[in-house]
Amino acid sequence: MHAPSSSRLTPSGVLATARAYPFSTFLTVGLLYVALWLTWRIVDWAVIEATWQAGDRAGCNPEGACWAFILNRLPQFTFGFYPEAERWRAWIVLLAPPALLLLAMAPDFKGRRWIIAGGFIAYPVAALALLSGGSLGLSHVPSDQWGGLLLTMIVGIGAFVLSFPLAILLALARLSKLPALRWLTIGFIDFWRGMPLVAVLFMSVIMLPLFLPPGFEISRPGLALTGLTLYSSAYLAEVIRGGLQSVGRGQTEAALALSFGFWRTQTYIVMPQALRAVLPGIVNSVIALFKDTTYVMIVGLFDLLNIVTAALSDARWLGLATEGYVFVGVIYWLFCFVLSHVSSRLEAQQSRVVRQDQILTGSTQ
Amino acid sequence: MTAPTSIKVRSLSKWFGSWRALQGVSVDIEGGACTVLCGPSGSGKSTFLRCLNGLEEWQTGEIEIGGIAVGDQPRALTRLRRDVGMVFQSFNLFPHLSVLDNVTLAPRRLLHRRRKDAEEQAMRLLQRVGVARQADKLPAGLSGGQKQRVAIARALAMEPKVLLFDEPTSALDPESVKEVLDVMIELAKGGTTMVVVTHEMGFARRVASRVLFMDKGRIVETAEPEAFFTCPCSERAKSFLADIGPP
Repeated sequence: MHAPSSSRLTPSGVLATARAYPFSTFLTVGLLYVALWLTWRIVDWAVIEATWQAGDRAGCNPEGACWAFILNRLPQFTFGFYPEAERWRAWIVLLAPPALLLLAMAPDFKGRRWIIAGGFIAYPVAALALLSGGSLGLSHVPSDQWGGLLLTMIVGIGAFVLSFPLAILLALARLSKLPALRWLTIGFIDFWRGMPLVAVLFMSVIMLPLFLPPGFEISRPGLALTGLTLYSSAYLAEVIRGGLQSVGRGQTEAALALSFGFWRTQTYIVMPQALRAVLPGIVNSVIALFKDTTYVMIVGLFDLLNIVTAALSDARWLGLATEGYVFVGVIYWLFCFVLSHVSSRLEAQQSRVVRQDQILTGSTQ
Repeated sequence: MTAPTSIKVRSLSKWFGSWRALQGVSVDIEGGACTVLCGPSGSGKSTFLRCLNGLEEWQTGEIEIGGIAVGDQPRALTRLRRDVGMVFQSFNLFPHLSVLDNVTLAPRRLLHRRRKDAEEQAMRLLQRVGVARQADKLPAGLSGGQKQRVAIARALAMEPKVLLFDEPTSALDPESVKEVLDVMIELAKGGTTMVVVTHEMGFARRVASRVLFMDKGRIVETAEPEAFFTCPCSERAKSFLADIGPP
């Protein structure tokens, strides 16, 4: 089955191809029609007929999207009920991660190690101090006023930054030679993986305070964050364990023979290779985690999704659910797109060399 | 220079499950000399070598390196390994680090050398084993012989008193074998204690001060290379040498 040799993009060539493959031609033309029609409908609704400025629903063109609603509410969707005068603090917290990420992605940037260390240790502490205030002359903003995208980012980044080191420790313990440690870890991981996230969040908000010493209180976002952290660390731990097992025994032996102890062997030799090997899996978990943050609405927190949902019942802007959810969807999609793009760039940098080496030496190991 | 480091092994036994890989091996390995360990595959020579730096655990018997017991206490074992370098059959270079970083990692992280000092030393070593031009490459870009020479430089960077070689040329093509053996011959002249598991009988004959022949978990024969190759005492060694051909 070969296409006629004249199947180039000339009128007669196209016609000949179409006659040679009638079904495939029918399918192509049909799909093209559907795609064009869909694109047109979306562009027509979202751009051409859309209203960008209006005081209320009545001011919007009913034939198109009412983006005025989103624009009007944008500050609230971004910051929740964070006081207006203090929003510069929230801006810093929101913009720091992408800025750090860009810096770390820059080719041949010498300070990458420091950025990563800073991102994992300094950022959470600094962000928390900056947002809640109460020191350094900053006024105190209680955490029940945090909301919207800000809360989503805090919970998402916070849960990742806290669960990642925990997951590394869990993965190491899971592979430990000490049976007690290994079984405890298996139990821990199975417990958190075996429960629905909704149950985890209810438990952490209702039950966790019972275990805390009297007089010691964690705010609701903090409790939800704790639950999400434990839940996602169990998943990440299993991903990282896969990476650890993919690093050949010879690597550990070479390190031990050079008189590296256990922790240094892990830090300098095994972990860098293991994490690189499972980078796609880690990014996958991070994306899942980021989207899972929407569950915090069931314990009464106003993350991006919940605050948009709440705004839908505003009497001046009734019936704009489509606009609201499209907006939320686009924001989430953008974040996940950037994350997977970052991951594929890192993979392209690393995998080439490392895999080649494994093929070359693999046969003798 | 301090006195060369000798190795003392007393009735070393190791079981893998119910199989006894080492059957009470006792031997004194001379310091500052090159000792070659040979024997048929499965005779326990690699296992024996890996016991010397504690990569393999054993059940009964004692090993002393330079008067210090090789034990299972992790901290002491780690300290001891500083003085005992090892070169593996499959190189085991760190694939995520450049050749230079492979060599400098241990001195920098374990001996807390400054980067500049460690790199100068590494370049000297790479020069010595003839791969200085590959310093910035990743191990993946090297030939087998180059990899093994980098692995030797990596071991030398910790300035070990004892060097263990576990079939260092078995994964190489004939041309690379020569590159690596030349480096090892050079090292043997330098007075480091070397224990080499190898099938390269030519190397054994030329360089070794003693040959240990192992079979079924025992050292069957200990001899000067000349004596070993011209008239081996044991039947097992005779048939082994007949099988692999003259050096």
